[in-house]
Amino acid sequence: MSMGLKPEDILRHKYIPKHEVLTDEEVKAVLEKYHATKEQLPKIKLSDPVVRALKAKPGDVIRIIRESETAGQSEYYRVVVQD
Amino acid sequence: MSERGENSILNRISSISFSVLSPSEIRKYAVVEITVPETYDEDGMPIQGGLMDNRLGVLEPGQKCGTCGNPAQTCPGHFGYIELAEPVIHIAFVDNVQKYLDTTCRKCGRLLLPKEELDEYKKQLDAAKGDQLLTEKIEKEIIAKAKKTKICPHCGARKRDIQLQKPTTFFEITEEGAAVRLTTTQIREWLERIPDSDVELLGYNPRSARPEWYILQVLPVPPVTVRPSIILETGIRSEDDLTHKLVDILRINQRVAESKEYGTPPLILQDQADLLQWHVTTYFDNETSGIPQAHHRSGRPLRTLAQRLKGKEGRFRGNLSGKRVDFSSRTVISPDPNLDISEVGVPYDVAMRLTVPERVTPWNIDFLKQLVKNGPDKYPGANYVITPAGVKIRLEYAQNREQLAENLTYDYVVERHLMDGDVVLFNRQPSLHRMSIMAHFVKVLPGRTFRLHPAVCPPYNADFDGDEMNLHVPQSEEAQAEAMNLMKVQGQIISPRYGAPIMGAIRDYITGAFLLTKEETKLAKKEFANLAYTGGYRGPLPESESISGRGLVSTFLPKDFNFIGSSKWVGKKNDVLIKNGQLLSGYIDKAMIGAEEPDSMLHRITKDYGPEMARSLLDSLLRIFKEYLTRRGFSYGYDDLEIPEEVKRQLGDIVKEAQMNVAKWIELYRQGKLPVIKGVRLEDMLEDYIMRELSNARDRAAKVVEKVITESNPGLIMARTGARGSSLNLGQMMAMLGQQSIRGKRISRGFNGRALAHFKKGDESPEARGFIEKSFRDGLTPIEFFFHSMAGREGLVDTAVRTQQSGYLQRRLINAMEHLKVEYDLTVRDPEGGIVQFKYGDDGVDPSKSDHGLAVNVRRLIEIIKTTDSGSPASKEFIENAVKSVEAKLTPKLRNDLLKHLPESGLSEKATLEACRLTVEKYEASLVEPGEAVGVVAAQSVGEPGTQMTLRTFHFAGVRERDVTLGLPRLIELLDARKEPTTPAMEIYLDEEYRSSAEKAQEVARSIIFTRLASVVEDSYIDPVEGTITFVISEARARDRGLTVEDIAKALEGKRKVEVKGNRITLNMNSHDLITLKAQREKILNQKVSGIPGILNASVVKRDDEWVIETSGSNLAKVLMFPHVDSSRTISNNIHEVANVLGIEAARNVLIREIIGVLQEQGLEVDYRHISLIADIMTSRGMILPIGRHGIVGMKSSVLAKAAFEITVPTLAEAASKGLSDDLLGVTENVIVGSTIPVGTGMVDIYM
Repeated sequence: MSMGLKPEDILRHKYIPKHEVLTDEEVKAVLEKYHATKEQLPKIKLSDPVVRALKAKPGDVIRIIRESETAGQSEYYRVVVQD
Repeated sequence: MSERGENSILNRISSISFSVLSPSEIRKYAVVEITVPETYDEDGMPIQGGLMDNRLGVLEPGQKCGTCGNPAQTCPGHFGYIELAEPVIHIAFVDNVQKYLDTTCRKCGRLLLPKEELDEYKKQLDAAKGDQLLTEKIEKEIIAKAKKTKICPHCGARKRDIQLQKPTTFFEITEEGAAVRLTTTQIREWLERIPDSDVELLGYNPRSARPEWYILQVLPVPPVTVRPSIILETGIRSEDDLTHKLVDILRINQRVAESKEYGTPPLILQDQADLLQWHVTTYFDNETSGIPQAHHRSGRPLRTLAQRLKGKEGRFRGNLSGKRVDFSSRTVISPDPNLDISEVGVPYDVAMRLTVPERVTPWNIDFLKQLVKNGPDKYPGANYVITPAGVKIRLEYAQNREQLAENLTYDYVVERHLMDGDVVLFNRQPSLHRMSIMAHFVKVLPGRTFRLHPAVCPPYNADFDGDEMNLHVPQSEEAQAEAMNLMKVQGQIISPRYGAPIMGAIRDYITGAFLLTKEETKLAKKEFANLAYTGGYRGPLPESESISGRGLVSTFLPKDFNFIGSSKWVGKKNDVLIKNGQLLSGYIDKAMIGAEEPDSMLHRITKDYGPEMARSLLDSLLRIFKEYLTRRGFSYGYDDLEIPEEVKRQLGDIVKEAQMNVAKWIELYRQGKLPVIKGVRLEDMLEDYIMRELSNARDRAAKVVEKVITESNPGLIMARTGARGSSLNLGQMMAMLGQQSIRGKRISRGFNGRALAHFKKGDESPEARGFIEKSFRDGLTPIEFFFHSMAGREGLVDTAVRTQQSGYLQRRLINAMEHLKVEYDLTVRDPEGGIVQFKYGDDGVDPSKSDHGLAVNVRRLIEIIKTTDSGSPASKEFIENAVKSVEAKLTPKLRNDLLKHLPESGLSEKATLEACRLTVEKYEASLVEPGEAVGVVAAQSVGEPGTQMTLRTFHFAGVRERDVTLGLPRLIELLDARKEPTTPAMEIYLDEEYRSSAEKAQEVARSIIFTRLASVVEDSYIDPVEGTITFVISEARARDRGLTVEDIAKALEGKRKVEVKGNRITLNMNSHDLITLKAQREKILNQKVSGIPGILNASVVKRDDEWVIETSGSNLAKVLMFPHVDSSRTISNNIHEVANVLGIEAARNVLIREIIGVLQEQGLEVDYRHISLIADIMTSRGMILPIGRHGIVGMKSSVLAKAAFEITVPTLAEAASKGLSDDLLGVTENVIVGSTIPVGTGMVDIYM
């Protein structure tokens, strides 16, 4: 369905918070911080337009920096999964 | 301890696995084969080998079980079995059987895939172990592939299509196309051939469910304890439905067996076997579609196994998730303002039946002895004594209570009467939020009703028009301690829904508060003394002879309390001023001490001085408000509604004027001169003008009347202080009722062309359409009364429908979120450890500990520090450094708040540091407690306001071209994650060039509206001789959409020749056949001329200095690419569309925005944290899951939780086939098995 609009352009949309792919070390640090396995992280589909724009692969962990009404700013992590 | 004490817990259930019983297991578990269809013989003795055989267990006390020798109380019951003469398909597994027959070979029983593929899939499945979604996907793929295979790759046999004639008959379609019946025996033999390895590939577990076990050869007969017979008063024995059904099965089974023996023709035998199948099917599920229900002799359908489990009154929801309890009581409630808010008045009759177990200790032995002596009939007494050996002695029958009392020693437990000061749980249904069950302290009183303080009515949503409430007495010390510490009334003053008090003054308390705190209220010393004493003041009297009402209120305020706020009274801003505990000015009314009011005086006191202070303040103040009002006197009567003759005339004029205006509009309409907005029907336009005219008339009437009401009018006082009623109500009573409406429109239905038979057809005048020009004081004419009743009926229906819908929404929300809790690292997780939020609510703050949603109210904190601060203001660098030093312990928002407010305040260096320190301290104090069931709190916080929402679907937003679904229907639609909203809409922002000009914005708006040729064509002709079709374009309509005739012609071009002449477009069709041409004309009329598919309408609105397009209908992907559209801000209200185009995070944002929008529009406040948690759980799997059985609940790993929610029987059947086990990690599961839930205090235990 998401044809047309170029992936880069999508990322500028104000409803899309900042997404960034984590390096292996960063992933390790995140999993350690939360004592979690990758399976326990929230998920994001491989077909998600933002994932495609970032060219992330399944198994990659994406950090999402959200604007938050309560905290001002917050971090969220999602692992890329096959859909 | 008692028999249910903790010492009797030997083991805990760690998991429950599900499987299908194999025939040999059924026989092994059984103690007797049942062969005789009769139950009892003539003497009333159970027949051996019959359904009531005493080896299956016994029912009546005194009988001994034939198997275990135990009496009825202790015999657990034993299974029997029936050997079926013909195999029978188990109805719960028909789908599985079909799947096997579709995917395996009829000859060799192998899965219809080549060996290599089987191996490959096996590898894939092994790799995907643990991933439920992926596993299901692979299995689906295997099934789809195997279904398509035509020839068995293993034995070369040709596959035949399988047809299932619901519910249980299978046919094979032969190569010749004939349908041949597969007998159950054949099916069973086929299924037996399927190897275990192939069973696994199809997603089943062969150890828990071999496919052939789906075909029953043996039927287990449940013990008699499962199907007890009851003896009616007449002495006639009445058997359970299951027994009836088993008798039927046995009868027909016997007949089949005999027929087989005698060699009956196969056709008749098959009929008999089918009858047996029907009986067994209905025995399992008597609501199977496609077959007739089995009925009782009386005509009532039988309640068989599936019915026993299913639904609200079924085993799961009725007996396992919710149980009946002892030590509870229910009666009517009535108000008692002399109680404390934390108390509940309990009648003596109730107090003498409900008991509290109290262990005898050196400190209470004399007291308890006296209670035992008093016995059950004298209050305070006791009903039971439990000896150290565990023997329970009922004092009602004890011969010598004196003796018993003297024998009491320290290990005895006395179940004494309920007494003043005991903790009890008090509850009013529907229990929509946690404040619906609170712990109160008992106050035993005469009378027959429970008494409660009026200030706690709002959290219970109670009134005294006959409401009843329930009371429960916690029995163990642990339960009492938890109730006292977690559920006390004062601990619940702040609602977790919006972080502000939900309790407080209501009704007359507010009137009293206002009258007491008016400037002119002066109290004589004696009055002051009396009032202050009732409020609990004990101390010196003031010197002066006359004390103001405000002075009296100040007596009870904390001495260091400073506060500025606005009362509700009109035109007052920041009038309430409290300095050092002295109320200097302002009225105390609803905005200061009322229930459900954020940022009130009560709120500040609760936040700053704690719940105990808030409780005692409420207790004291409310008591004096009530006392003052009682002594002063306050009433509202007929003469308070009186208005002067002059005003009455004015009202008459207003009505006349409105009638004239309406007549004018009607006249304009008849002449066709009505000003119109495009896209709106003329009739609707007229209605709109009339409605506006009439509502205008009512408003003006109300205003005229308002002018003559004095400020001493009791009605006005009540409305303005927020005690009761609104100015609208005053207007209705004194001025006029105004327009009565049904579905937001004037009343039009009823008779043909008129609302009532008293009017002429087509009469559009105000009177004929439900406009009431009278007030309640004047009284209504019969016709007006009737119209009023019509509108009143709509209100009642609306409420009834709404409660149902919102109740179900609440249940789904709770079921979807009950298992979410905060872990020790403040993440929110499900029981498997899956993370839903990395920090609860992003800042980890508990909304009920927040300050109206804020973690720390920095502005107010600084204000308070400032009152005691002295010294020169700190420098900017100092502030920045001070904030920097605490930054790591705060949220970015708090840091920004500090940086914003500190420089403004001019605090000294010392005070600045103090402010930073306190911010950290307060922030840490407001963090959620680990273990908090935040899911349930969020579900309640969204579900509870659902009850208060309007059902009104349509709401005309601004210029009336756009319908928007709002209120409860929209909320349900959002949480259901419907694929398409009822009213899709977009907000289109434009680029710099276009956003500043209305014309340019309009240009874009016009060009995106999806237009078919039909909507711009006036007329069309077909010329079969020439083979042409001519369309006459309406230039006006084309202009509306920014099109010229040429544009349209261009859009129609293509393979055919197009000719334009004036406003006529002629197409050459190369056909002379009239029928073909007609068909083609229809096709062309439907063709797109311009615009974007899906955009039905677009209009331009000004929003903060720029022009924005609002559309009905949406197509995000296409609109984003449209020229001049700002693709970084344009958005749709369709969450799925947003997820597809912009991703799951954008969809989450839209979901939150939409939910907040719905709630805000309804004036309901819900903390952001609750909404974000709902949005996070709906999106945490990378797609949008609905709240309900197809979404989040369906994803739960627990079999029991799913079975308890909605689809009970299929869930259990699936669990059995797959050999699933329930590890009892969630909440529902643990409730079902009866252990403590792993949430909150249930997570911890004392280690000893």
